[in-house]
Amino acid sequence: MVLFKQLMTLLILSVVLAFGSNLVLPNSIPFVGEYRSISSSGEPIVPPSAELGDPPFIDLNRARFEYDLGTAIFLDSRSPEEFDCGTIPGSINIPFEYMPDGDLTEYLDSAFSGAAFDKTIINYCSGEECDLSLYMGRFLNTSGYTNVMIFFGGSREWEQAGFEVERRVKCDN
Amino acid sequence: MRQLIDNDYLTMLSRLLIGGMFISASFYKIIEPADFAKSIWQYHMIPGSLINLMALILPWLELLIGLALIFGFAYRGAILWANMLLGVFIIALISTIARGLDIDCGCFKAGESATAPAWDALWFDLVAMFFAVQLWIGKSSRWRFRLDLINRGCGG
Repeated sequence: MVLFKQLMTLLILSVVLAFGSNLVLPNSIPFVGEYRSISSSGEPIVPPSAELGDPPFIDLNRARFEYDLGTAIFLDSRSPEEFDCGTIPGSINIPFEYMPDGDLTEYLDSAFSGAAFDKTIINYCSGEECDLSLYMGRFLNTSGYTNVMIFFGGSREWEQAGFEVERRVKCDN
Repeated sequence: MRQLIDNDYLTMLSRLLIGGMFISASFYKIIEPADFAKSIWQYHMIPGSLINLMALILPWLELLIGLALIFGFAYRGAILWANMLLGVFIIALISTIARGLDIDCGCFKAGESATAPAWDALWFDLVAMFFAVQLWIGKSSRWRFRLDLINRGCGG
């Protein structure tokens, strides 16, 4: 009985502290996660042009998990026109092909709303025919962002899985 | 053998090792619960709805177990928790290795910043389990903080 009381005391105290700290600490998460389980191969799509030292490639499962967790930045590297046609909801758009020249420290800092350099960034573009996410991932790595991931399946794999897509304009394709 | 298991100094060493291990394992996870949630998710063993709860509660439980072992309060309960958790960690790591998952264990740090591969973590946990079992079967009761004795006015 004493043993059971001790076990429960430690557990209940942990629960109270966990809930309390999650209300107070800056990096809080929802108490109950709503993660979708996805039946996919679990293997990320990796382009032939990938090189050693590139940011890690993640599969649809991981991208969806990060989306549900809600702490990562989703970055669409395509042009604003393609971004408006359909993107993962909540993503920001930094068109790799239209980035200004020179020192982009302030530009990136502003685009990421001052996020820390170790913030998780899920970087993607259309899908397998698009290398922009790969180039952007490399660029962010060299710019000091340490937690960049490439979702090479991109918006197409996302949409084909039946996930919600944010469309700002109607497009033909 | 019995004398060795019940030895006060070996018991204190085990308490410091296991307690220290649990305390140091808890800090980063308390501060970065999202990273720890990712580590838990990578095992693919916990239902999605429980991942965040586990990521929030487990680090605090580890911290309390560590403090309880070192200072000797809720002592038997803390030892049993330590053994149960280490048992669960070992099963999870064996399952990870058996399924060929290439993930970091999330034992001390978590998420992408974690560095311990499953095999290393498994050996580490097996050694820790040895000390945790010694605490469970040992009968040393020195250097323990006992609330009931303090209430009766004779601490120690």
